[in-house]
Amino acid sequence: MKKICVIFRKSPIGNTSSREGLDFAMLSASFEQEVSIIFTDEAVLHLLPEQQPELVGSKDYLSTFKALSLYDIETVLVCRDSAVQFGITAKDFNFEAELASEKHIQTLIQQANEVVVY
Amino acid sequence: MSKFIIQVNGTVYGSTASFRALRFTESVLSLGHQVSHIFFYQQGVFNSNSLVCPASDEHDLHRAWTKLASEHNVKLVNCVSAALRRGVLSAQDALENDKQQYNASEQFTMGGLGELVTGIEQSERLVCF
Repeated sequence: MKKICVIFRKSPIGNTSSREGLDFAMLSASFEQEVSIIFTDEAVLHLLPEQQPELVGSKDYLSTFKALSLYDIETVLVCRDSAVQFGITAKDFNFEAELASEKHIQTLIQQANEVVVY
Repeated sequence: MSKFIIQVNGTVYGSTASFRALRFTESVLSLGHQVSHIFFYQQGVFNSNSLVCPASDEHDLHRAWTKLASEHNVKLVNCVSAALRRGVLSAQDALENDKQQYNASEQFTMGGLGELVTGIEQSERLVCF
């Protein structure tokens, strides 16, 4: 078993990177790896509720983030600085996640065996 | 000696990620390390397209990957779902999906994300490009 940290950096709108990152995260978890997730930069937009990805030609993979705990992915951090930049607070979150400081995120990355960025 | 697994997310032309992955792999092998396999994901699956046909004075990354694989016995694995979404098909995929053509080289095998994850587990280090 390895500790795999998946970092999402891209917006949910305009590209499919996070969708494939999410597939990787869930598959890793189902293969008994210890997976943690970080949202930073534009990817904090994933946390916003009531998005309609179908309207811009994407599959609605956003609702799948709600299933992370079913895959035993318990550590889901949101970069506080990025959230502030985008005007997002914890009460906006559409799924279970925790606002985290830069230091907290650094510690998580240091503890991981592998870090993958999507 | 360490065992590496390389993940390539960058396309065959238009970004330098795949080129850097190739150079990194060559370097790792020349230093006597092992590379379990190269896993192509996201836009990386375009590296397996046998129809890639650059000008003669340009890098042919598709050819470079197949050459590296045969010289060093390194396995090249495409994520099959990432490939199918992008129109990169093996002969078998073409048959199963009722398509008239296929374009992936035989040196690239189609696999699942599970191969990436078990590869990560069995290697000391995953490096992504």
